[in-house]
Amino acid sequence: MTIRRNIVVAASAAAALALALAGCSSGGGGAASADGDTGSVEGKEICYITAANSHPYVTPANEGAQAAADAAGVKLTIVSEEFSPQTGAEQLDSCVARGVDGILLWPLDDNSYLPGLLKAEQEGIPVVAIDTTTGEDSMALIESFVGADKYDQGKISAQQLEKALGGEGGIVIIAGQAGNGTEIARTGGFMDELEASGSKLEVLATVNADFDQQKALVASRDLLTKFGDQIKGVYAEDDTMAKGFQQALAESGLAITPFIVGINGEKGAFESIKAGTQYSTIIQPPFRNGELAIETLIAVMKGETVDEMVPLENTVVDAENVDDNEPAM
Amino acid sequence: MRRLDLRATGRTAVRYRLLVLLVIVAIFGSITIVDFFSVDTLQSVLNRATVVGFLALGLTPVLIAGQIDLSIGSILSMAGITTIALQPVIGNVPAALAGLGVGVLIGAVNAAIVVVFKISSLVATLATLLIFASLALLLTDSQPVSSTDPIFGIPLTGDLLAVFTPRSALFVAAAILMFVWLRFTPSGRNLYAVGSNAAAAKSAGIRSNAYIVATFLISGLFAGAAGVLQSLSTATGSPVAGAVMLIPAITAVVIGGTRLEGGRGSSLATLGGVVALGALTMMFEFNGVPAYTQAIYTGVLLIVLITLDRLVSGDGRPTSRTLRRARVESPTPRGIQEEA
Repeated sequence: MTIRRNIVVAASAAAALALALAGCSSGGGGAASADGDTGSVEGKEICYITAANSHPYVTPANEGAQAAADAAGVKLTIVSEEFSPQTGAEQLDSCVARGVDGILLWPLDDNSYLPGLLKAEQEGIPVVAIDTTTGEDSMALIESFVGADKYDQGKISAQQLEKALGGEGGIVIIAGQAGNGTEIARTGGFMDELEASGSKLEVLATVNADFDQQKALVASRDLLTKFGDQIKGVYAEDDTMAKGFQQALAESGLAITPFIVGINGEKGAFESIKAGTQYSTIIQPPFRNGELAIETLIAVMKGETVDEMVPLENTVVDAENVDDNEPAM
Repeated sequence: MRRLDLRATGRTAVRYRLLVLLVIVAIFGSITIVDFFSVDTLQSVLNRATVVGFLALGLTPVLIAGQIDLSIGSILSMAGITTIALQPVIGNVPAALAGLGVGVLIGAVNAAIVVVFKISSLVATLATLLIFASLALLLTDSQPVSSTDPIFGIPLTGDLLAVFTPRSALFVAAAILMFVWLRFTPSGRNLYAVGSNAAAAKSAGIRSNAYIVATFLISGLFAGAAGVLQSLSTATGSPVAGAVMLIPAITAVVIGGTRLEGGRGSSLATLGGVVALGALTMMFEFNGVPAYTQAIYTGVLLIVLITLDRLVSGDGRPTSRTLRRARVESPTPRGIQEEA
């Protein structure tokens, strides 16, 4: 509810100040010119079309975006698609009509945003995508994508198991839903890393448990019956499935302690790591996702070149740093 | 005398309550948001209003006839996925026509259940809402269908005569055509009679059932149009696109002053309702009001507007009979107190 006239005045003042600074410090080196750049986006307006107002992952991402915008002195207008890409497409249209200086978009499907993205391109408004990628035609109109690199999460998981097992032993993979984008990336990254590093880890079996704890429990019972103490390591493609394996293991009464790696940084995984029943997890922090997305968009607005994909840092959490990190969800 | 004047002023203010609301939104929007009151904003509001607008327009004659059609959201989804799925098979334009056809077809199913099996339209269209919402999910395996020709529909949301886009121009034109039909043709006027008192209308020689069938076909056609336009302009046929559209459409019609009890309403009022709601939504969005809070304001607004309407028009709502009496008494048909 800010009265914008004040912002405009503040912006002109800031712009004047920035010009003065730039004039004074033309020989001042990198740091000084970066300061000048920060001033140049102050008072500009970003439209953030988010997936939802209220959601375990999206809400902290929205908060992160707001924090980054506040830090840069940019006015952020958040509109919520409420998980409807049709609503989002219309909101994108309004944002372009408003003539904002930049748009951060949370895409929910492949094509719906295309007309709006074309309009944004015509008006010269840069668009950055957060968390999810969209169709190829649409991505061509988007400056950058900021989100978790799920392929990289697979690679990291392979490295974690390698480290835990000392490079040898049988492992099982509890994968997500077959054909799901996340499953493909997490399995692909894992297998590619094993191959690339010439690992001696032996994949005993791969099962699909659909990112579901109950299904993982059932599948793990079978795995434990079949392979028993051959299982030295477990790669669960998310923490809920890691939990399912742990339940099956406890039930089985087998006196083995395989190393279990999971992904997502869930609260339950943190507890398991503290209790020593899970080796590690990977946090993909939503707050940081929002922050990084706005920072990337601001860089684009300043005219800097950014990468087509800005990956979210994947933070590995294990027994050593579990107390220093907060669960992602 | 004085009391009468007040009443007259009140009536006028309430008759044009949507304009009053739009002016309030424009003023408040201009204060809180820089450059809110502009041609671009108007264009965007109209463009965004189009999809809900077509649904609401189609619903208007149904409500005037004293019926309701809850299935319009499901029709929208079905028409949308039909259009996109058939694009590579039969071409863009035939696929769009097929989308409209699916709308009319489902409208015919509704009409048959209501007229032939004598089931209340609330129940009948609740059933078709459920059936076609599920069918849309089944047919698409719950996944949105992506268009093979995403560029085809993009001109629909391009510029046209400054304030319009091609699709919003279609919407406004449809509203005006429907207004002409309802107000200036015998069949349009008869529809009000059917909605006020179907039995009386029947004894006056009006074939009520034929009118009811026609309104469901119109409703299906318009919901189909909404689905075709939405799916083409987003190049996606979503099986759940319509699931969230029913409530906004009904809200827009009712804010416009069309009565759920039948016998009263106007397509221009619906146009006003849709645009007023759209402008309000956009003002809320750009003021950072979260979506779930916006619904509270909309609900309150609905109650306030309808209460005002009732207060001014008194207990007795004008039925077609009173309208007809007015028509007989007044020398010009312009004297009819109808929503505009």
